[in-house]
Amino acid sequence: MSSAPEKQDTTARQDSPRKPLLSVRDLEVQFRTDHGPATAVGGVNFELYSGEMLGLVGESGSGKTVTALSVMRLIPDPPGKITGGKVLFEDIDLLQLTYSQMRRIRGKKIAMIFQEPMTALNPVFSIGMQVMETVRTHEKVTRKEAFERAVDMLTAVGIPDARKRMGDYPHQFSGGMRQRVMIALALVCHPQILVADEPTTALDVTTQAQIMDLMIELNQKREAAAILLITHDLAVVAETCQRVIVMYGGRVQESGTTEHIFNSPRHPYTQGLLRSLPGPHQKPKSRLNAIAGNVPSILDMPTGCRFCTRCPDVMDRCHREEPPLHALANGQLVRCHLLEEEAT
Amino acid sequence: MTAYFIRRLLLILPTFLGVTIIAFTITRLVPGGPLEREIMRMRQAQAMGEAGGSAGASNIVDPTASIPSRSLDQLKKQFDLDKPGYEAYFLWLKKICTLNLGESYVYREPVWDLIAKRFPISLTFGLTGFFLAYLVSIPLGILKALRHGSTFDVFSSGVVFVGYSIPGWAFGALLLVFLASGRFYDVFPLGDIKTSTYEELPSIVRNMEDLDDVTDDFGTFEWDRLSLLSRIIDRSYHMALPVFCYMMGSFATLTMLTKNSLMENLGQDYVRTAFAKGLAPNRVIFVHTLRNSMIPLATGLGHALSVLMAGSYLIEWVFNIDGIGYLGYTSILGRDYTVVMGILAINTVLILFGNILSDVLYAVIDPRIRFE
Ligand SMILES: Nc1ncnc2c1ncn2[C@@H]1O[C@H](COP(=O)(O)OP(=O)(O)OP(=O)(O)O)[C@@H](O)[C@H]1O
Ligand code: SF4
Ligand SMILES: [Mg+2]
Repeated sequence: MSSAPEKQDTTARQDSPRKPLLSVRDLEVQFRTDHGPATAVGGVNFELYSGEMLGLVGESGSGKTVTALSVMRLIPDPPGKITGGKVLFEDIDLLQLTYSQMRRIRGKKIAMIFQEPMTALNPVFSIGMQVMETVRTHEKVTRKEAFERAVDMLTAVGIPDARKRMGDYPHQFSGGMRQRVMIALALVCHPQILVADEPTTALDVTTQAQIMDLMIELNQKREAAAILLITHDLAVVAETCQRVIVMYGGRVQESGTTEHIFNSPRHPYTQGLLRSLPGPHQKPKSRLNAIAGNVPSILDMPTGCRFCTRCPDVMDRCHREEPPLHALANGQLVRCHLLEEEAT
Repeated sequence: MTAYFIRRLLLILPTFLGVTIIAFTITRLVPGGPLEREIMRMRQAQAMGEAGGSAGASNIVDPTASIPSRSLDQLKKQFDLDKPGYEAYFLWLKKICTLNLGESYVYREPVWDLIAKRFPISLTFGLTGFFLAYLVSIPLGILKALRHGSTFDVFSSGVVFVGYSIPGWAFGALLLVFLASGRFYDVFPLGDIKTSTYEELPSIVRNMEDLDDVTDDFGTFEWDRLSLLSRIIDRSYHMALPVFCYMMGSFATLTMLTKNSLMENLGQDYVRTAFAKGLAPNRVIFVHTLRNSMIPLATGLGHALSVLMAGSYLIEWVFNIDGIGYLGYTSILGRDYTVVMGILAINTVLILFGNILSDVLYAVIDPRIRFE
């Protein structure tokens, strides 16, 4: 896997008060369950800047997908509903848009790719049709222009003989190739933001590396100006992202530059995650499973700190009070009472 | 894939032979066949002819006893019973190849004519029932899937369930009592496929037709003299209830199949992808999802071929329609084996070709299907 050269300029970006491309404010999403409404994510805040790759990590069930789907307003309703917050993109709150206004954002300004390349493409339509469809939905182009655009994009994502393969169906491609097709149909309209929800989890290691390289390349070529990369894999984040958000129990627990998060994690959860990372001599391929216990279901979330059931540093007040996000001088945000104790 | 279909086509022949050989063997083995029936009939005629009083005794005599052996031989020859089974079968097969289905023992008419006469009736009922079922069930299933859990969905599920549990003919009988008997309403005719007297014509038709124009020189009503429009109206008026009954059968299954299949597909990942691309909901549903949901339904479409010979004996019986179902059933009861075998042969061919057509449709609609 090639490492991202722009990693060095992250501090510069950090210092300049640039305007974020996307800004999520106090997002809250609830699901209707048999036992009443349950809050899947709440108090989610983060910014995505133009040109960056932002990592979103956390164990299974921590609310990463729900957050990503909220940005696209694709939460399945019912049972889900965005019950609070703002998603600001180009100074407009996406949550306030009408359905048809939002439709013109999806695929055109903000695109999304999913975890399962095997099922995310429609099995009964050719890949050419599926890529062309994105173009023809958002731009007034002739069939022929759309065709050429699709061929170009498929070539750009590394489909060999793209022109000849336009008429082929998804089942005629391997998993890695299908994920490339997914990326092509997401990026064919040159969106400003690409939300990638575990784009490599379902692939084998070699293919994972290839897809990640492709994403970095596309990010550098500004095909996808900003990428929100959701993943389980901290090693991938370390190599590709400039900034990281750590989620747990539907909350952002810690966020900051990759450097800060990896070198000086302040949240006990982040520290636990990092301990689960293999050392330099091991193969960088381990799931985040070193923290004892399981992520509580959204129905029996603890009332205080979401992590209090598994935290090694848990204190009395952790069970009672949920900590706010504490801002550190270096820009790092940490949701833990320990930081307050430290400050006082 | 071409190889697969060629193989399927080639398999038609042995399957056809298998089915017809089994049926033919049964006609030979089951007691009370055409020969015995004929003998009975002759003996009864004889007994009647001799004297009414002593006729009772002949019932216990050996059935062949009173028949002269010459006419017995003749009878055997008539039913091809003078030859060994396999020879008779090959004889039948040879005739079949020249589209000669033989002659009915009962009607004394070529089987082909008997079927041909009833064919238009079956065809109209079969095709209208079949296509109406699809025409109603698919939109209904789609609507139910899109409004899953709504009052409309729950209510229509009730209707579907009733349609599923009541057999078509029983429902037909109910409809006749309520809508045709005149006890409650007299909207529809009691049966048959056309009106036989001027007075009974539906009033719309009667208002359009002058009595003199539709009767012959002796004042007898002639249906064929009605204008095309009147004939269509009169036909529809007679066909409405039976067609409804035919529809009931497949309506319930088709509706639920459409609904479940669409619901299942709406939850698939590719639907989320389609929405993420910014497609309009209608495009997602009617282009992306529907094509996938139609896969299980396409299979049934191949059987459109076998509705060409459709005919439910019970529905035909309730509505007094002289169709193929009625013909088939009475031929089995009356041991009219040439008719039975004729209908069976035609149906077998239609079903076998229908199955292949289903596979073709399947492959056309789903690119993943590659028959090897
Ligand atoms: N359709 C749904 N109905 C009910 N609850 C849901 C639904 N989708 C998500 N949730 C709940 O929201 C919580 C967060 O789920 P989410 O899918 O965002 O987790 P995730 O971090 O993406 O996990 P993973 O790594 O497994 O993808 C989970 O506890 C889940 O139970
Ligand atoms: S708030 Fe308490 S329980 Fe939560 S992470 Fe900090 S120390 Fe642990
Ligand atoms: Mg997820």
